[in-house]
Amino acid sequence: MVKIFVIDNGGQWTHREWRTLRDLDVETKIMPNSTDFNDILKEKLDGLVLSGGAPRVGLNDELGNSGQYLEMSKIPILGICAGHQFMARYFGGKVSESKLPEFGKIELTIIKKDPIFKKVPDRSVVWLSHNDEVSSIPKDFEILASSENCQIQAMKNNNKPFYGLQFHPEVEHTEYGEQIFKNFVKICEG
Amino acid sequence: MFNAERFIEEIIKSLKEDITGKALIAFSGGVDSTVCAALVNRAIGKKLIAVHVDTGYMRKNESSDVKKMMEKLKLNYRYVDASKDFIKSLKGVEDPEKKRKIIGEKFIRIFEQVAEEEGIGFLVQGTIAPDWIESGGELRDTIKSHHNVGGLPEIMKLKLIEPLRDLYKDEIRKIARVLNLDVAERQPFPGPGLAIRIIGEPTPDRIEIVREACFIVEDEIEKAVEDDKMEMPWQYFAVLLPVKSVGVHGDKRAYGYVIAVRAVHSIDAMTCAFSKIPNDVIDRISSRITNSLKEKVNRVVYDVTNKPPGTVEWE
Repeated sequence: MVKIFVIDNGGQWTHREWRTLRDLDVETKIMPNSTDFNDILKEKLDGLVLSGGAPRVGLNDELGNSGQYLEMSKIPILGICAGHQFMARYFGGKVSESKLPEFGKIELTIIKKDPIFKKVPDRSVVWLSHNDEVSSIPKDFEILASSENCQIQAMKNNNKPFYGLQFHPEVEHTEYGEQIFKNFVKICEG
Repeated sequence: MFNAERFIEEIIKSLKEDITGKALIAFSGGVDSTVCAALVNRAIGKKLIAVHVDTGYMRKNESSDVKKMMEKLKLNYRYVDASKDFIKSLKGVEDPEKKRKIIGEKFIRIFEQVAEEEGIGFLVQGTIAPDWIESGGELRDTIKSHHNVGGLPEIMKLKLIEPLRDLYKDEIRKIARVLNLDVAERQPFPGPGLAIRIIGEPTPDRIEIVREACFIVEDEIEKAVEDDKMEMPWQYFAVLLPVKSVGVHGDKRAYGYVIAVRAVHSIDAMTCAFSKIPNDVIDRISSRITNSLKEKVNRVVYDVTNKPPGTVEWE
């Protein structure tokens, strides 16, 4: 059984991420973001999800020990919303307040084919809820998808299996959300 | 995938271990508390006492229907009419969070009183995941204090048991179907009831208006679903706005309140899309509300907001 834990940054949909993984028969658990990396290592995980978070944490905050995980981890990491923003900031990118924040339904356009978007059409409906966004992509990352008002909707590290998504694949109304999670599970299986 | 049969088996086993004396369940008659009561009833039988509180903010005939349901389920139950007390405690209260907190605390004090009279040590609640997620705490922001979580007072004498905490409504419905419960497909109704469907002070005359409007919305939408005109929404109701607008009634000027009709599609309440109601259905709802509520309501609007950015209930 694949083992992927969810790091809780205080998002409204952290538990939905846990549920989506559980529904895909993944062994999963929600861990506070104060968990020490050594305790994460002991779990012998196949992957990690950095959840979204309470207001503005992606913009300014440390997100607990998330920096440690990004620094030391060799397993795939999927950052969602604030988790994605933090990942960008940690590796030298920029996060700023969105000129036009996106709440609810948006059309996502895939720019670059990648295993994370396997079986997802080039245009699809995703749901979002964010005030801030990644405004400049870090070195060694590339943009995988965009929307009309947010250029960096999805990004990937070129050397490590680290992904960031501004939209929320875990919610029911994101058309191919479950497929994206299936793809991430596949990536974690190696 | 979530397996309802396995969940039922495991939870009954752990409830038998965890509940070592008499327990009380807060019973609203909705899917969550009914499923919860049925499970705990299987675990500890007559040692479970279901308490239904008529808050005065229930829908048309709701509390008397719940009473019949408790009888049908063969629950050992108590029925508390606290409507006067609840309505009095919300006098002058306009803030949604204050309404929710006052109601949450009132519930608990009633349960504590019943518990003391009957020597009960455990309080069972049908709390599900969105209740505690939206109530916030620690890292998480408070979206709204659900009466059964964020409304709980800090010091409580009863030991809390919440067997459905990690589940969402669609999973609760699966359990209800396995247990063959009539409420399996019932739409959610918030614990604070009509008090949070009245924007502003929930006075007795406003309760009557929103109660009738909610009844009309439910009746028309259920008929439309039966006639295959539309899909059953996740939740559908009326909200009374504290805004007045000008109308004309038989050549005479009218000045009455506005009712907002809300209907959304969802499976788990964590994201919702507003329902696409056919025009003739919304037309019937509008005419019926304005005609039957006459001088009180002369305008009806339809809420076309998704969640996010909105929430399902307005407060």
